[in-house]
Amino acid sequence: METRRYQDVNVQVIDRCKNGDNRAQYELYKLYAKAMFNVSMRITNDYAEAEDVLQEAFISAFKNLHTYKADASFGSWLKKIVVNAAINAIRKKRSELVPMDERLAEDVADEVDEDDNEWKVEQVRYAIQRLPDGYRVVLSLYLLEGFDHAEIGEILGITESTSKSQYSRARKKLVEIMRAPHIVAH
Amino acid sequence: MKDKFEKFVQENREEFDVFEPRQELWQQICQQLPPPAAKKEAKVISINFGERASFRADFMFMRVAAAVLLLLGCGLTLLLTKQNTPANAIAATEQVRLNNIAPELAEVEAYYTSQINSKKGQLSAYNLKVLGLDEEHDIEQELARLDRNYAELKKQLYTTPNTDKVMDAMIRNLQLRIMVLNRQLEVLEKIEKLQKTETSEPGQNETQII
Repeated sequence: METRRYQDVNVQVIDRCKNGDNRAQYELYKLYAKAMFNVSMRITNDYAEAEDVLQEAFISAFKNLHTYKADASFGSWLKKIVVNAAINAIRKKRSELVPMDERLAEDVADEVDEDDNEWKVEQVRYAIQRLPDGYRVVLSLYLLEGFDHAEIGEILGITESTSKSQYSRARKKLVEIMRAPHIVAH
Repeated sequence: MKDKFEKFVQENREEFDVFEPRQELWQQICQQLPPPAAKKEAKVISINFGERASFRADFMFMRVAAAVLLLLGCGLTLLLTKQNTPANAIAATEQVRLNNIAPELAEVEAYYTSQINSKKGQLSAYNLKVLGLDEEHDIEQELARLDRNYAELKKQLYTTPNTDKVMDAMIRNLQLRIMVLNRQLEVLEKIEKLQKTETSEPGQNETQII
């Protein structure tokens, strides 16, 4: 019920946006800016770049609003735009986003040793920021943005299994970073 | 299958969103957005009457003309309704909407309004100045106060969930007016009687005064 009504509210605002209503555009921006900025931040790992991405994504979203069909939630439609813009941005900067060295995948144990339950959000977030680009992107998309490996493969132009192995390697690396003394102290 | 770590992240998902863009970013975005769908340029309709006469109607002109007509119409209606409405009458204009909220109100209002008007008619039959009454002013004020109070209640009727309570207050307000008018009538009747006896038996009156 709650989500349904929420979407209905959006539909009206979106319709007004389609007509170029500035106030409706601002309403929509206010509603999604923070969440989308954090998506962008996690992928680009750079404040200024994340803002550029957000700006580009919102402009593109408003210009292409007529292509949005109400079958998916507006949030997830917008998120796809943000993710794509963010990935394009880091691709421009760095040559290879996901190292395609599959040999590494075999080294990763299925069971990652995460015995302690004493995680803190701040600590995890900090550790994610310290992951290498390729790991951070896959891990963020899967863990925080809710994409599955097939979708991630599509977004990044890799296979589903590469996404999976990349994710488990990222997890392992994350544990390593969290165990490092300066993080524990953090 | 979600493991413990994934569950932990999911449960605390909100807390992972710690960053916020600068306030000014919207300004930058706004500037790059296409302006609201530009109003279509004024269309020109040309109607040809044979070959000789051609009549061109500019859409823009038509719009202005329509607007002027509409304004004139509105103004006229407003003027007419204002003239038709007696100054102190209990508003009967919103009856249609009120019928939905409080269907019994129309009847009640009609009843009391007729009562009040007849009392007022009776009152005006007295020549207050001749009777040397100053009180008229106070009564007018009291009635005006009740009228304002009533209008306020009526407004509440549209918003309140408890229409019965407001309705009761409104009816009490109407009854109060009748009471005020009745009292005034009583006073006037007494004074009139007194004056009649005064004129018919002046001697007696003089002794009274002395």
